[in-house]
Amino acid sequence: MMTANNRARNQAFLCFLWMPLLFLTVALLGGLRINAEDHAFIFIAPPLVTLVLAVLLMLLFVRGRLVELHQLVASDHPPLRNVSHIWLLVTLFFASAQAFNSVLPERGLLHWLFSFFFLWTLWNNQFSSFDARRLLRSLAVLFGTAFVLKHMLLASLYSSDGGWLKRLAGVLLQGVSLGTLDAPAFAPATGYISFFTLALYVAGLFLLTFAWDSEKSDIDYRLEAGADRNQLASGEAILEGGGSRTGIGVDRQTALIPPPSDR
Amino acid sequence: MQAKVIQVAGLILTVAYASFIIWIYATEPRTFKEVATGAEVATGTYQIDQEKFNSALALFRREQFRAARDEWLRADPAQSDARTQFYIGYSFYREGWGRVYYDQDLFKQGLEAVNRAITLAPNAPLTVDDPDLQMHTAAELKTELEQGTERTWSDVNPLKVLRTRK
Repeated sequence: MMTANNRARNQAFLCFLWMPLLFLTVALLGGLRINAEDHAFIFIAPPLVTLVLAVLLMLLFVRGRLVELHQLVASDHPPLRNVSHIWLLVTLFFASAQAFNSVLPERGLLHWLFSFFFLWTLWNNQFSSFDARRLLRSLAVLFGTAFVLKHMLLASLYSSDGGWLKRLAGVLLQGVSLGTLDAPAFAPATGYISFFTLALYVAGLFLLTFAWDSEKSDIDYRLEAGADRNQLASGEAILEGGGSRTGIGVDRQTALIPPPSDR
Repeated sequence: MQAKVIQVAGLILTVAYASFIIWIYATEPRTFKEVATGAEVATGTYQIDQEKFNSALALFRREQFRAARDEWLRADPAQSDARTQFYIGYSFYREGWGRVYYDQDLFKQGLEAVNRAITLAPNAPLTVDDPDLQMHTAAELKTELEQGTERTWSDVNPLKVLRTRK
């Protein structure tokens, strides 16, 4: 019983407090850049394309059963629970948009190239068969690749002190202008912030799978306990109708069966 | 019951956090200090640095307008004090005023400052009781600055050189 209470409490903390806080932190840091010259904060609101990407990603979460909508929002849930779950989904949506914002170049041709590749990948994935864990691995690789491209390769290409890639490109592309691939130069701290943001986001998605798993097992557990109580109640009714109480060696407390993971 | 408490507390806490994030993106502070100043303004606990304000006023009276403005900007970094903004506007007026012509750039900046002052005091007309000034309300100062930025036929009137600075 104590284990069940702890599970319910921890799950409530996870679903209604820690995960929204984590996703909101991703939403805060996803648009944060540090100016290379004076190290001032630059907050970049999510561009429209990141909202479209976030919508596609949310659809993918539902298709991959990372987000089980029918479990989260249902007419037989208490209103507060529905509101909390919808709020969690809202925070997940904005965290997704800002995670994209964090790895997209800010302007120029590269911004649209990256956006196009993200759109292409997410659109293709809509028609692939996914389960939650495979989807998570795929997303971790997608964001990891984009991070390496933007914050390591491109940052090196556009760094003011001339990164290794800039020198290499200078040798290979002598006389070729990179004007159309213009991108603003940020302080190295921007890359660290982006790394932390993406790590938080992926960690949040992993937590999401655990949250639903434990919620599901909690519901199963309650259902089973409820079924046992009903059986007990019907047995008592039969006995009260003329039978003997001897032989029923269980009471309502012992009728509670631990959830599958505790067995 | 406990889950409900966690739900309500979680909702309140996370909605407050989300509001903070929206505010951050709306105001775009550039440093942690600006974040702190902005938070003080938002919570209504913001106060200007009175010592810096007084030293700026002393500079203003010695007609060192640029130095005075710098001090006032340091005294009111959030540009949220109507009285300070009024004085900044006034310093632009006095520096930009000329017997033959007005400095248009300074007058425009003065107009921006006085407009900020008027916006910051929406309930009552802003009045500054300073005997050293000849204009005591933001409305007067605004009118004077606006007239200075307008081009009219009276600009070619030679008698204009007899005007006095307020």
